[in-house]
Amino acid sequence: MNSEFRTFALGIIGVPLCLIGLLAMIYGDRTGATLAFIADRTPMLLTGSPDFSSLQGGFIANIGMSLAAMAIAGALGIILGIGLIAEFWPTRLLSGFVMNVLRNSPWLVVLYAMLYLLPFEMKIFGVWITISPVVKSIAGLSLPVAANIAEIFRGGIEAIPTGQWESARSLGYRRLQILRYIVLPQALPLMIPNLMTIYAMLFIGTSLVVVTGASDVLFVGRTIIETAGSSTASAIYIYILFLFFLFAFPIAILTRWLERRIGTVSP
Amino acid sequence: MTLSGSRPLIEMRDVRKSFGTYEVLKGISLSVNDGSVVCIIGPSGSGKSTVLRCINGLIPINSGTIRVGDFAVETLKSDKALIPLRHQVSMVFQQYNLFPHRTVMQNLTMAPIQVLGEDPRKVRDRAAALLAKVRLTGKENAYPGELSGGQQQRVAIARALAMEPRVILFDEVTAALDPEMVSEVLGVVRDLARDGMTCVLVTHEMRFAEEVADEVFFTDRGVIVEHGPPATLFKSPSDPRLKDFLDKVL
Repeated sequence: MNSEFRTFALGIIGVPLCLIGLLAMIYGDRTGATLAFIADRTPMLLTGSPDFSSLQGGFIANIGMSLAAMAIAGALGIILGIGLIAEFWPTRLLSGFVMNVLRNSPWLVVLYAMLYLLPFEMKIFGVWITISPVVKSIAGLSLPVAANIAEIFRGGIEAIPTGQWESARSLGYRRLQILRYIVLPQALPLMIPNLMTIYAMLFIGTSLVVVTGASDVLFVGRTIIETAGSSTASAIYIYILFLFFLFAFPIAILTRWLERRIGTVSP
Repeated sequence: MTLSGSRPLIEMRDVRKSFGTYEVLKGISLSVNDGSVVCIIGPSGSGKSTVLRCINGLIPINSGTIRVGDFAVETLKSDKALIPLRHQVSMVFQQYNLFPHRTVMQNLTMAPIQVLGEDPRKVRDRAAALLAKVRLTGKENAYPGELSGGQQQRVAIARALAMEPRVILFDEVTAALDPEMVSEVLGVVRDLARDGMTCVLVTHEMRFAEEVADEVFFTDRGVIVEHGPPATLFKSPSDPRLKDFLDKVL
């Protein structure tokens, strides 16, 4: 992972240096005090509590929501993806319609839709269940991502030569068996880099959930700025930028490394 | 019904098949006796490979009847209904179509285990014997990508045999091979023919067809123009289209 390692080293050192430089330009001789202020508020920004006592919000919530949304989107995406390649054409048409609508909707619009379409609480099996902003956020994020995963799934499957299907059928395999035993094991490695890219996008997209009222890192950041004064705004936002970078950048590097490896090493 | 006696193993009657508006098969009738070797020759695009794919139900036909053993192929609509037929009819492809993510051994054993539900240990023993038969003992744990074209095609033949079929369909199995590898694959097919396996071959290897075939069918533009034992068909062709074809390829 030579070239990727160099990029990673450069980025992981260079970007923080640039951000500190930016802070110094903005805050001048108050840079030291600002850094101390950020360090002091770090537990709050990371977990939503001043002393790591709970993990209810902040950056941890962004990670949690992105993982939950990715899991749901993965399951939905595979179902939708199987629909996209179904033999029965009405299934294909319907899946294609759903996929295109979801994939071409701005994420923010879907989030707003979830905010107003999903009720505040719902009766499931006779029990009233509150649908929290976090749940709405996860639902809103997973829908467009599911559509993207469905497309990645379809593309991966169609990259496998039709001869594989033909010979498997001649051996008596049925359609879903062929997918499971023959096509998917070959297609999955091709899909992984794309899946990681969409996950990185989803993760960055979790910053949008602030509109639902979920206490993610931006929500916490805003609260801090409101209490500590608007002079801290630049510092807080630069710091949040840094947190997102710290999480998403390694994924991007890993993706690029996997892409190269899958491209050059034949099975 | 099972009393077949002298009844042919495969019988196609007036089979027609169109892809869109293009009619590939315009009424094909042929029969293959149990234990015989039949070669189908003819120019490219004459429908030879389509005939093979109709026999094992890979391609549904528009009209006519196909009988293989006791199966009326044209009545089997779903892949599930086709499983017993595919147990009896194996196929070997021009591009080998081995499963690249599985070892040679797994390529041979996965369908008998996963589709036919056979005992894995018995299947592995059988597969080892088949690999010896195609002279590939020692390659059990190799991946298809590590083998030469000729070796891959021999694995594909062993994979077809692992299903314990009554007939094997060969679709231009030497067409994608380098010349020096053709003979090793034809040697394996020749062994099978000698052992009494029913074989239907689509081939461009005229010398080989002449040597192993009990009967040769010549197809052109979706019909069978002429058929008969290789001695008559190759030595004294009666149809001008066949004469013309043989002049070009021999």
